[in-house]
Parts: sequence; C-alpha cells; structure tokens
Amino acid sequence: MAQDVTALEKITGKEIAVDPAGIEDAFLRIWRETAGDAYDASTVRLRVLNLVAVGSGPAAGDSFDRVMAVVPQRHPCRGILAVADTAASGVEASIGAHCWNAAGTGRHVCSEEVSLRGAPGQARALASAVLALLVPEVPVEIWLIDNVDLDGAVVAELLASADRVLLDSARSANPADAYRAALAVSDERGIAFCDLAWQRLAGWRALIAQLFDRTDAMAELPRLQSIEIVGGDGRPSSDALLLAGWFASRLRLQPADVSARVDGFGATLYDGTRGTRLAVTSDVQRAPLREVRIRTERASFFIQLHEDSGHMHVREEWPDRQTRRTVAMEPIDDAAVILDALDDRDGASVEIDSMRAILALST
Amino acid sequence: MTSGATGSSNPFRTGQRLSRTPDPCAVVVFGATGDLTARKLIPALYNLARGRLLPAGLSIVGFARRDWTDEQFRAAMKEAVAKFSREPLQEDIWDAFAHELHYVSSDFAAADGYGRLRDRLLKQDQQHGAGGNRLFYLATPPTAYAAIAQRLGEAGLVKGGTDGGWIRLVVEKPFGRDLATARELNQNLGLVFRERQIYRIDHNLGKETVQNILVFRFGNGIFEPIWNRRYVDNVQVSVAETVGVEGRGGYYEEAGALRDMVQNHLLQVLSLVTMEPVASFRGDAVRDEKAKVFQAIVPIADVARQTVRAQYAAGAILGQDVPGYRQEEGVAKDSVTETYAALKLQIENWRWADVPFYLRVGKRLPKRATEIAITFKTAPLQLFRQMGSENPTPNLLVLRIQPDEGISLRFGAKVPGTRSDVRPVNMDFRYGSSFGVEAPEAYERLLLDAMLGDSTLFTRWDGVELAWELLTPVLDAWRSGASPLQSYDAGSWGPDAARALTERDGHEWHRM
Repeated sequence: MAQDVTALEKITGKEIAVDPAGIEDAFLRIWRETAGDAYDASTVRLRVLNLVAVGSGPAAGDSFDRVMAVVPQRHPCRGILAVADTAASGVEASIGAHCWNAAGTGRHVCSEEVSLRGAPGQARALASAVLALLVPEVPVEIWLIDNVDLDGAVVAELLASADRVLLDSARSANPADAYRAALAVSDERGIAFCDLAWQRLAGWRALIAQLFDRTDAMAELPRLQSIEIVGGDGRPSSDALLLAGWFASRLRLQPADVSARVDGFGATLYDGTRGTRLAVTSDVQRAPLREVRIRTERASFFIQLHEDSGHMHVREEWPDRQTRRTVAMEPIDDAAVILDALDDRDGASVEIDSMRAILALST
Repeated sequence: MTSGATGSSNPFRTGQRLSRTPDPCAVVVFGATGDLTARKLIPALYNLARGRLLPAGLSIVGFARRDWTDEQFRAAMKEAVAKFSREPLQEDIWDAFAHELHYVSSDFAAADGYGRLRDRLLKQDQQHGAGGNRLFYLATPPTAYAAIAQRLGEAGLVKGGTDGGWIRLVVEKPFGRDLATARELNQNLGLVFRERQIYRIDHNLGKETVQNILVFRFGNGIFEPIWNRRYVDNVQVSVAETVGVEGRGGYYEEAGALRDMVQNHLLQVLSLVTMEPVASFRGDAVRDEKAKVFQAIVPIADVARQTVRAQYAAGAILGQDVPGYRQEEGVAKDSVTETYAALKLQIENWRWADVPFYLRVGKRLPKRATEIAITFKTAPLQLFRQMGSENPTPNLLVLRIQPDEGISLRFGAKVPGTRSDVRPVNMDFRYGSSFGVEAPEAYERLLLDAMLGDSTLFTRWDGVELAWELLTPVLDAWRSGASPLQSYDAGSWGPDAARALTERDGHEWHRM
C-alpha cells in the first residue's frame, strides 16, 4: 500500500435496521460527517465490487476489519460481513467505514462496511439481507473467512449471486478436501474460485518462471532430475502441495510410484520416457512454504525464504557460473493476498490444473 | 538466439501476470556520477531488482570521468538509493544488488576507457552468462552523445558479446536543439547504431497517467465514437509549473520552453490524444500512428498569430515573492529565452480537420498541473435557454496527468426547483482515491521496457524529426522578431497575448 495512504479512522458500531435504503442514507451521512470541508459536489463514490465475507464468531469480524482497512484503498468496494452469532436475536446490522487520505491528494475517502449477524437458524434471513445490500452491476466476491464450507447454509444461498468464491485451503484440516469442494463448485455450478493458498504462491511461481525464461535453462527442463519442496508443519502445507501440483501440471508429467513419508510424500513424475523425482516434505518447526530445490543434469536452482527478513534468496548453479540474488517477498497476510486475488483473474485454469494434479498425486 | 536469451515457451509463464523478464544483460550508464543516475536510474534499477523484475545475471557498469573505484561507486549509489528510492533501502537486497555494480573511470572521449569497459563486459558475460546483451544508457550532456557512440563503435562494443547478444542505446532528451542539430545527432548515432537499437527516452511518457490516455480512449467503448471533429470543439494541452529554472539557468537559457517541453512532451501527449486506434500494441503500431498525427499537423504559417512566447517577471507564487527570470542565477540580464510558450495547431485529417488544438507550457504559473482539456460542442438545440436558463456550458472532459491524476467530466444538471435551471457539475475520477497503490516510477517502467526490447513508449526518429520540422520555423521566426517576447508576472496565468490566442477563435483557456 502506498506510504501516503493513511488510514485515518475506523467509524464503527452504528446499529441500524436491516433496511437497504436506510443503510444507503447512513453511508452518505458518514461520508459527509467524516469528510467535513473536503466533501463537495464533485465527490463520487466508487465501488468496483462487493466483497461478501462469510464467517462465524468474533474472530471473523476481526479478520473482516483488517481486510477492509486495506482492500478498498485499491479496490473501492462495499464490504458485507455475514456472520453466524449465537448472541444475535434475528438478523442485526451495523455499519461502519474506514476513511483515509487518498494518495497525494489529501482527498478523504471512505469504504462502506455492513456487518450482519444472524442467530443460528437464521441463515436464509441473513443471506437475504446480504442480497438486498449488494451494489448492483458490479462483481460479487464471496470470501469464506473461517473454513471451506461451500455447503454451509448462508454460502449456499449466496452462491447463485457470486461471481467468484475466495477460499483458503490452508485453513482446511485436509487441503485436498478443500480442493475437491472448490473444483465441484467450479465444475457443477460454473462459479469461479480462487484459493488464497494458491495466491500466496504468486511470488514463488513468478521466481520459478523467471529461472526458466532463459533459453539455456529452458533447455534443461527435459533433463529435470528432481524437485524438492519444503513447507508445512509436520505435514505438507497447502501451498507446498499446490506448488507440487503446479510443477506436475505445467510440465505435463504423470505421477507414479507415490510413496508416503513421515513428513510428506515422494513420487516419480513421468512424461512417458523419463522420470523426475518429486519430494514434498515438511519441517516441524516451520509452517509455510520455505524452500524449493530444482535439479537438472547441468544446473541446480534454489529458492529459499528467509524467515526474518521475509526476503527470498535465489541461487543458480551452472558448471561455468553461479548467480545469487535477493528479492523482496510481498506480505502474505489475508488483506495482501485478497488484494492480489482481486488483481489477478488470469491464472484460474492454471490453478485448477494444479489442484487436479495434486489430487491425482494424493490418490 | 544466444544461450543467455529468453525463450517464448516457458511452461511456467502460463497464467502469470508478466509474460517474461528481461534477458540477462549489462546496463552501462554513461554519466554514472551525475544527478540523473543517482536520483532516477539506480533507484529505479534497485526497485526493479527488489520487485523480482530483473533476471539473474544482470550487471550494472557505471562509466564516468570521476576517479572512483567499484567500492566508491557502490557507496555513492547506496546513499542515492537510501535518499531517492521509492521503496526503502533494505540491506540484504542492497548487498546482492550492489555485488553486480561496477565502475569504469574514463573520459567519454578516451579510447582506452572503452577498452577497459569492453574487458569488464566480457568478464561479466563469462561470469553471468549474459550472452553479450548490453543496454548503453547516455545519462550525459547531449554534447557527449556523438563521441560516446563513436568510441563504442570503435571499441567493438556494439556488435554484441562473444555470443552475439542484443545491443541497445538509451538516449535522454533533448534530441537536438533544432532540425539541423537533431539530424546531425541522429546521423552520428546512426553511424554506429541502427534505428531499432536507439531508445529515445522521454520520462513523461513512462508515467501511468500518460499511458492511461490510451486505456481511456481504446479500452472504453463510449469515448471513441465522439472523439472527432463532429463532437469536439477544441482541445487544450497545458503544462503549468510553479517552479522557475531551479539552478538550471545555464541549461534553460539554451533551451527555452518550446525546446524543453513542447518539442517532446506536449507533442507526444497530443499525438496520444489524437492518434487513430491501433489493432495491437505489437511492434511499432503505436509509433506508426503517432507519426501519422505529426505528418498531419499543418505547418505554422503565421507565427505571429499562432504562437505566443513570454518570459516571467518578478511576482509571487503561493504567497512567496519570487524573482523574475532575468534575475535567476545563470540567466543573462537581457535574456530573450521564453519561459512560456503557447501555440495553436491544426491537424488536417479526416478525424480532426478544423478542430483547433491549443498547447501551452509555462514556468512560474500559479499552480503545478498537466492537463488535457477536451471541450465538446454544445447540444444542437439550446432547449433550456428557451425556458429561461442561461447559455449552456459545453461538456468538458479533462484528463489530469499530474498532480491529482484523474479524469473529470463536466455536464449540465437541473438545479432542484420549479424552474428549468441548468448548472454545470463535475463528475470526477481520481486515481488517488481509487487506486491507493503507488505507481512505479516512470524510469522503472521505461528501463524495463528497454531491457525487454519494447520501444512503444520511446520516441522514434521520424517523430523527433517531424516535431522539429514543425517547430524549427517557429524558433527561426521568433529569432527574427515575429511574435515579440511578452512578459508575465510570476504567479499569473501567462501574458495577455496567450488569452488573445484562444479568444480570437471564440474560445478560452481551460481554468486549471
């Protein structure tokens, strides 16, 4: 986020009836009150999407709040949180906003946030309130905050209006289940999805692609000997699995000889004539993806995440040369990853192929 | 294709935002101890490296007269990055980046320096597998361009390395000071480099909002149908600066507003606003269309009526008293250099015939702004005037390049009440309010494009030549006394004669 974009304030807690017209009026008042003298007739509310977050419990509200403090600065949107809350009676609503000074302009800009809490058994009412509050004619992104439960009552009601579902297989006890659920929604209902675990891999994938931009490195791909991926806390993390699937699908290799290990699994990937050894392992002490090692007949490539700095160390070893460099890795908290997902709509088929490949490996 | 060159079928690129990264190469910066290198070039390269946009095997070689070692160069550049970089300097990233920074000390005209440069580059090729790919960047005074090009040729440095890689030359403006000197410069460069190897940089074209002109025009369906003489009344391109010459009096005395801004920046922006749509952004498509616009600009026949030149006198800017131009350091007391220029142009083609285009640029104006203002013709029937409303204000579309980048559209709306009063209102889109992300520096984009071999945002020779063909007669006429030099107070919007330029046609300058 730009350094001169500063969040000024969070305006919270205005309880309000679940009435779309009343909520619209209340938002307008918020803008005027907070903008003060900066508000003038030329101000336009820009909303390029609806971000509907579905979750349960107070933690979901905190996650939503953190994301809405950041995302609207790049993707002006209406954020709607639909949360199951045992303390709620019926469906309750509150509105809020994050306001900030826009980059370089001194302009006062506010997001629009509606929090809807529904008592257990109120799923349909909660979903209907969400639907009534959607800004028309702009995409609807549904973000599953807690877990990948696409059969949940609220989500099921909302899917018909969704353009895309944002889920996070890393939050799933078994990432493979999340992949299957996401693929089913895509295959059976034609709704696009984006796995935030996949999105966290963007920097890794870009670096790996860059390694093979060179013709001499490309020429090594048919001579690939091994790929080692390290990531996970006791068992491979979802991002490590997705990266393995990405390698297999992009290289069009078929798995064979899959063998489980205490800390992960190994397999041989074939293209009909040759085999490439794949190992996906975890490290008890470290959770996310942290290292990739690729070896070919002539060259070795290493990418390692330096945990303290968050930077990536990249090393290439060739018979006649060795190169090293250090590059920045963007933050991968939920807000940053969702921002990235909203920016990136081009890689969906690659993501799907990667998921299918890792499911083929795991079976 | 060399061993270090990039391929086009990298399976890992599918679905990625970038289609490729540049080939490994050596970037050689001539004038490496100068201001441009410290403020812009090295910080831009550092940010590109930090952001994973540069390949492994990239090295940077500074070339300048100062007797520095590699270590001294690295230390100076580290200080520069810490001071001027868009992203903060981070030690581990800097250390890896600095490892590939090298320095060759030499006079630009001394042959032996180029021999040492060649040896250094060959060594880099061997160490990094850069395949002889080289980007030469002339961050020097233009007077050194020809000598550097000649020496590079003599040293065999434009043939690629041992593997025959690509060679490109980036040249900073000004590209000559009139048609004759521009041709001479081009001939000198052409003795050593082919046109497709020469990248003439105008950093203004690397700005996001300049690039957005094409997105706005060709990425939306609603504007292009009205983007022509049938609907457009007049177009204005304005560059207003509050600053004076800022210690560059010596340079500005030789340049003036017409050479400094109109010949390149304003005409380039004008061409983006008026060019025909391209079928793709491949190859030379955009530059071909821009050249057609330059060819269609009618030569300025009546310099006295179609141009205004002026110089600022003492005045006040933002509440501060400021001296007149002739009191600035490095400026002659009897200087006739213009700090303000305004022109009226006509583009005689099917789309724009009879639409006047007004260009103005000035220093020490009341506010800093670069804008394109497109005024549309009024509705054919003044329906609401018959009902008592005042004369309608024409629709106005303003593309703001800087600051407060954005787009606004003025249209008429009914004032609430029983009468049919119409009042102009603005619909405003502001980049800062909508994309709270920092745009990359123009130099980052342009350096990356040069390394990738994408010359779309660079100026081609025919564009330079056509611009000088248009403006050299103006310079000649001004020198012989046509359109006498006017004066304007610092802090004002320019001389009365500039107002007359538009009022003569029944127009007025857009209020910025």
